[in-house]
Formats: sequence, C-alpha cells, structure tokens
Amino acid sequence: MRGPRASELAQLVGGGLEVVEAAPGSGLPPGLPIAQPQSEEQVSELLRLASQRRWRVDLRGGGTQPQWGPLGEPGDLVLATTALNQLVEHEPGDLICVAQAGMRLSDLQERISRTPGYRQRLMLDPPGGDGATLGGLVATRASGPLRTRYGHMRDLLLGARFVLADGTIAKTGGKVVKNVAGYDLDKLLVGSLGTLAVVVQVALRLHPQAEARASVLLEDVDAGTAAQFLVSLRTAPVVPSIVEVIWPDGVVLVQIDSTAEGAARQAEVAAGLNPRARILDLAEASYWEELLRSRPWERPGAVLGVSVPLTATRALLEFVEDQGALGEAVALSLRGTIGAGELRISSQVATLELVRETLEGWGGHTEIHRAPDELRGLGSSPRDPVAQDLIRRVKRALDPDDILEPGRISRTEPTSVAVVGTRG
Amino acid sequence: MASYAPPNVGALDQLVTALGAIVGSAWVLTRADDLRTYECDGLTGWRQPPLAVALPATTQEVARIVRLCHELAIPFVPRGSGTGLSGGALPHPEGIVIGLSRMRSILEVDVDNERVVVQPGVLNLDVTRAVEDKGYFYAPDPSSQRVCSIGGNVAENSGGAHCLKYGFTTNHVLAATLVLSDGRIAHLGSPCVDAPGLDLLGVVIGSEGTLGIVTEVTLRLLPKPEWVETLLAAFPSTDAAGQAVAAIIAHGVVPAAMEMMDRATIAAVESTMHAGYPDCGAALLVELDGPAADCRSLFQAVADLCRAAGATEVRVARDEAERALLWKGRRGAFSAMGRVSPDYYVQDGVVPRSHLAEVLAGIRDLEQRHGLRVANVFHAGDGNLHPLILYDRRAPGGPERARELAEDILGLCLDAGGSLTGEHGVGRDKMCQMPRLFSVADQEVMVRVRSAFDPDHLSNPDKVLPTPRLCGEHPGIYRPHPAELAGLAERV
Repeated sequence: MRGPRASELAQLVGGGLEVVEAAPGSGLPPGLPIAQPQSEEQVSELLRLASQRRWRVDLRGGGTQPQWGPLGEPGDLVLATTALNQLVEHEPGDLICVAQAGMRLSDLQERISRTPGYRQRLMLDPPGGDGATLGGLVATRASGPLRTRYGHMRDLLLGARFVLADGTIAKTGGKVVKNVAGYDLDKLLVGSLGTLAVVVQVALRLHPQAEARASVLLEDVDAGTAAQFLVSLRTAPVVPSIVEVIWPDGVVLVQIDSTAEGAARQAEVAAGLNPRARILDLAEASYWEELLRSRPWERPGAVLGVSVPLTATRALLEFVEDQGALGEAVALSLRGTIGAGELRISSQVATLELVRETLEGWGGHTEIHRAPDELRGLGSSPRDPVAQDLIRRVKRALDPDDILEPGRISRTEPTSVAVVGTRG
Repeated sequence: MASYAPPNVGALDQLVTALGAIVGSAWVLTRADDLRTYECDGLTGWRQPPLAVALPATTQEVARIVRLCHELAIPFVPRGSGTGLSGGALPHPEGIVIGLSRMRSILEVDVDNERVVVQPGVLNLDVTRAVEDKGYFYAPDPSSQRVCSIGGNVAENSGGAHCLKYGFTTNHVLAATLVLSDGRIAHLGSPCVDAPGLDLLGVVIGSEGTLGIVTEVTLRLLPKPEWVETLLAAFPSTDAAGQAVAAIIAHGVVPAAMEMMDRATIAAVESTMHAGYPDCGAALLVELDGPAADCRSLFQAVADLCRAAGATEVRVARDEAERALLWKGRRGAFSAMGRVSPDYYVQDGVVPRSHLAEVLAGIRDLEQRHGLRVANVFHAGDGNLHPLILYDRRAPGGPERARELAEDILGLCLDAGGSLTGEHGVGRDKMCQMPRLFSVADQEVMVRVRSAFDPDHLSNPDKVLPTPRLCGEHPGIYRPHPAELAGLAERV
C-alpha cells in the first residue's frame, strides 16, 4: 500500500483527527483510511500532508452517489466531510443560509423549516437525495423536478469556502444574492466532482414556500401529444414549479405553487390545454409526488443525466419507447420545459453508447449518474479541443499533482472520449 | 505580473499596419481625436488613451488581432458600448483597445428552443426587441439596456432592476465563443443546458474581460409574463420603507423588482423630470409579474403590507403609461442627480437585506462626519445600494472627501456581511479595494485561474485583481458622461 495507515494518519494531523478504516463490504478497499476532519484547518493540514507525500485523496459526502461521473483512479485515503455538518447561519430575512458542506440536505431542510414566522426551503430535490450532503450536491450538481422553476445548485450557490490540494484555504462569492466582486469560482466548483478543491462551507439562496399547491396530470398520451402539450404550456400564463414528463408511461405531471387563487387559476389553464389533462385531488397528487421522490432511481439499471433541445422532445420520448434497445426497465424523468432530466436504461455498453450518440446527434448530451465502473467513461465530454485544454489547465492550476479525485480529469491529451471530466 | 515595454514609434507603425491588414485600415484608429472616445468608459474619472483602437467584424479577426498582440506582448482591452461604471474598459497605456461595436448581428433566433445567438456588440434591448412579437424576452435588464452591449453584460455579469426574480446574465447564457489571449478560439457551454465538462463558461461570465474576448453568445429566452402590477408607496422614512421590504419578503413574495429612493433622490427627480412622485421621506417601487390571478392576489397583500408599515400613499399603475411614469423617476434618478449637484460619485455596495436600516443610518452619520450629502437610490429587494455622493470637484478637497466617504460606505457594507460591488464590477475602480473582501489566498486562487486562461496577463491587465504596482493610488471620481446628461444612458 502506498498510502498511510489509519493510525498513522490520525497522529500526523493535529487536533485529534478522526480516522476510521473502511469496513469490508463498504465498497471501499478494507482498511482504507477514512479521515473525518472536524474543521477546515484540519482539512487544510490533511491536504498539505497529502500533497507533500503524494497521497491521492478521494472525497466523500453522504456516499449516496458512488457511481456518478467518470471513474478516477483509486485514492490512498478518503476525506469524508461527515463531521462538518453544522448549520452556521439561517437569515430568513435575507432568504439565505450558510452551512458546512457535510450537512445533509434533509437535515438542512428540517432546520430551516423550524425558523418561526417563515416558510422557506432550499429548492433542490434530487430524487433519493435526502441523505446527500450539500458538498456532494455541489460536486455532482444533482437536481430534481423543482429545477424547472428554481434552477439547480449553480443557481442556488452564493458562496463557498474551500481548501485546495496544497492546503490553501480560500473563499469565493459571499452570502448576498447580488455580488460581482471577483471571479465567480462558485460556478467552477459546481459539478467539478471534487476534482478542484474540497468545499467545506456553502452559502445558499433559499426560496419561500407558497401557500397553496395544485397539480395537473396529462395521461394516456402519445409522444406527439405530450410534446405539443409542453409547447402550449411554455407560452401559457402558467409558472409551474414542476413539469415532469414520465415516460414511456405516457404521463406529464404539472405542479403549481402559488397563492390559493393563483394556483387554482393556473391549474385550470394548464388542464385546459389538452382534453386528457385534469386537475388532481390531494390523494392523487401525493401519489405522484411520492413517485417523483425516487424515480428513476428505484430500480436497477444505469441512470444517465440527459439534455436535449426542446424541439427534440418528441423524438426523445419516441426513442425511450423502444424497450428492445434500451431495456425493459427504461424510465425517463424529463423536466419538460427545460429539456433535461434523468433516464434509466439497461447497463450495457451498447445501450449507453446508443443513447449518447442519439442525443448528441440532436445537439444534446448525456452524463453518467449511475453505472458500473467499466461503463463510467461513456458520458458526453466537451468536443472542443481548446476547451478540453482549458479544463486541464484549470485543473493543473489548482491541483498540479492530481491529488484530489485523481484521474477524473485527464492531465494529458485525451486519447478517448471518457477521460475529460464531466459535470456531475 | 508581466510588464510591457512601450513600443517605439517604428514598432507602433508596424503594429498599426498589421492591424490594418487584419481589419482594414479604416477600422484602425490612431489619431488623438479618434482615440479620445475610447480613453474612458462610463466611469470618466479614469482616463487613458490607448496606442490604437482596432474594430474587428468577425471572431476570426478578433483572433488574429489577439494573436498579433500575443506575438508582440501587447496588452489588449476589450470594449463593448463603453457604458461600464468601474473603468473595466479603461485602456492600458501600452496596449490597444479591441472595440466590438461592429459585431452587432443577431445571428440566429430560435424561439422554439428558447434561445438566440448574438454577436457581442448587440445591444441588450435589441435582443428582447427581436423576440417580443413571439411572446419572449431576454431577462437581464440593466438600466443602460438601450445602449449597453451583450458582450459587456457577459463581462460584468450584469443584472438589472428585475434580477431579484430573474437572476443575472450568468443564469441566461448557454454558450459562448471565447478568443483566448494566445489567439486560440474556445467554444464553451452548449446550446442545451448542462454542457459536459467543468463550467468554464461560468467563470468567464463576470470576469470583466480578463480571461479573453467573448465573440459570440447563445442566450436563453423566457416567455413574457402574462401580467405586470406596479405600485409606488410613499413612506415617512427609509426605515419605514425598509420595514415594508422586510414584511414583503417575510410574506413569501419575491417581487420582480423592489426599488427604494430617499427624500434627496425624490427631490432631485421631481425638480428635473417631474415624474409626479409624492413628497415623502422614502418611495418604494414594487413590481410583480406572472400569471394575472397570482399577481393580483399577491399585489393586494403587498399594498396592505406597505400600509401596515406606515405608507401614507400607495399609487397603483392602471396601465402601461402609468407604469412607465412610476419607473421614470427611478430610471432617471442618476441623471437627475447630475443636474442638481455639480458632481457625484455613485457607490455600488451590497448589504444583506436584513442590515439595510443600520447601514442607511450609518450613511447618515457619515454624511455628517464628512460634511457631504448622500442621496440613496437602491435595489431594496437584493440589498444593492447606490449611494450618490454629491460633491463639487472645484471645492477644496472636494473629490478627496467624496472618495473617502464612498470608501467608508463600502466599509459599512462589508462590515454588515455584504459585497464590494453588486453589478458595476471591480474593474480598475475597485481593484485596490479587493483586499477588503478577499484574503491574499482568495486572490491568489483567482490569479491561478486567470493564469490558466491567460498566462501572460495580456487580456485586460491591471483590472479586477490588485497589483502592488498600482494599488497605492486613489480610486477615480465620477463625472457624468455627456451622453448620460442627455438622458441616453441612465445608470442603475
């Protein structure tokens, strides 16, 4: 073993660094040290040491997405943000909160909801993501149905504190929504899969929860009808929180959050766009809400992030109906007014390649959200060689020895499609 | 930091000839009269004529000019419409300006995919004009939107009065073509969301021209809201108006815009443009947009909250003409100030909304201490303050006192947990203030990123990131641009 032993590591870093060994069956090599720093200073000290000794460091948040993005090389130790789990600040009047990166999304939502006099949330709902940490959500940029109205982590992150591979502690952004001082390095961190820095603290924009909700379901429709419905919906006086195309099930779910009067009126408008659309009662609405909390992660198979031009929506839906090519467990959850979502297919090389080639042919792309290790290189990568070169240069500028999440961003000229990092 | 040797006369001639070979000699400016237009941007206190100005028409021409600069180690400064307020387009004494005003074509309108492709010189408002008949608009709306360019918006990550709800330029750009400082051309982002690879585009937006020159931009369009409601509420004081702002936010309303003006601003606006604002201690302009039923119900709540916070009058716009009138005073506030005071300097600080009242009280104390008047006009919804420091540059110590007051106000913002700049950018003006917000390590990370894009620091050098060589000097003092006084280029 080229890396440190757990006991050795605990002694090398000051302040009593907590280090455990990976247990057999944890998915990690048994005995691999998992360091759980309790402060950004400990993170800094640990990384400085790792840089000096050329130990490669894998990062771990909630451990909910172990198969996301391109596969790197195995690290010599794991840095887990588990112990950095505190809410630092919730300022409801400013609609912001500041929290450590190891805080779980569900814990954050619960803490925020306890503030009296306000009903606010972080409007981020990645399916199956309750156990995800804020740092993990920055690294993967995972999102869910609410992206339709509120965007994803790129739109919600206001600032971050982070530690570079050499131990440099730095910050970017701030805790105000409007801020153009200095480079917007937040954007670089979001989706970087931990390859550039260890994020230790984040400032996030919150949104108020509306007083009322109404849901509309379009069902038993073909791809053409669904696509036409989405076109009408985009220009109708409706501002939905969720427009989820559930395919090949022939369903589009529209959720509206607003004032009681506004939600009711918008639901009428949305339901009026197609004879097969109808307003749901509370029980039906909760059934669908529950389904969205896990779909398409609830069954085995590869899960891809997919993105297509809006005009390719119908073609995408028809493509997804081909269970012969994509596997019988094929399931698409598409944010219908954005053209992005997640697609579950069978874990076969040919299937992943077919999806990527088809979507790229339409001007879209795919990224790996869950796939066996040997298939994790099969997402889209930037095609422009100058952009590829810039990515390598940025990586080298911040982590010259490729200590953090090694191998996920290639340090040399690409030899195949897979090695240039994808955004999570 | 690289240093650049000023070329001798012979070298300058060679440069001009080479530039002419690229863009045509008619599009290379070298006469002192022609260069004067380019010696400053909207922040006219900083002035520096460039060696020459080149006006390319295509991405390829930009790339060839930049490659030439790279070979000769000549710094270059990209420039859009020159309306920036932080000296971001201030020329470098040993460099050239690359003006993008000829690159003014809307290359593609694709409403079905809710996107347009434009050249950087396209004016902000022209994007909306090109798509509004199809029911769409381009959301970022800086008050200079009739004259500012999309390229400049990308450089500054411009917002606008409606950014509280709709976000900033960075939330509306899908892809861009970037000419790097060695002349290579990078295509960043993708016409679809979630482009693969690191989000380099996200760093380029707001980098103020220091990472290269953007020569083509794909923008996202939004469907126009069905309904807009606008009200103006009069309050006895900014504190009372601030309470209304807090109550509106606590109620869960995210207005499209929420703007505040204090008594001094209202008086200036009334004496110059007669917008018919009420005589009061503070005016709050609130705009909601969205589906009609939602707008109306929330609007009623907003009006009630204003009255509960002590509003003495609530005016509601009944039609587009009345709405324009309510906005007239706000949009013209800066130029009005230019007519009531010989000079003014506009600060652009941000405070967390919850600290508005204490910072405004602090500004009142500073007025007393410095013996200068400050008029406040600001985006109350997002805490972006624009204190206008009124002074007379001919009075003894006038500019210096104004500068000190401006810096003290910034101190209040930073102490409250805010920011150096909400929308005008750092540019040259606030470069030396950066250490007040960012540690040496923070700045060092930015320099590393900058060097990954532009190792020789040729693209808009001596901006944003402080240099020891320059940061002992005084920030510039604002003098209004003639175009602004003519009402063409009001400032946010």
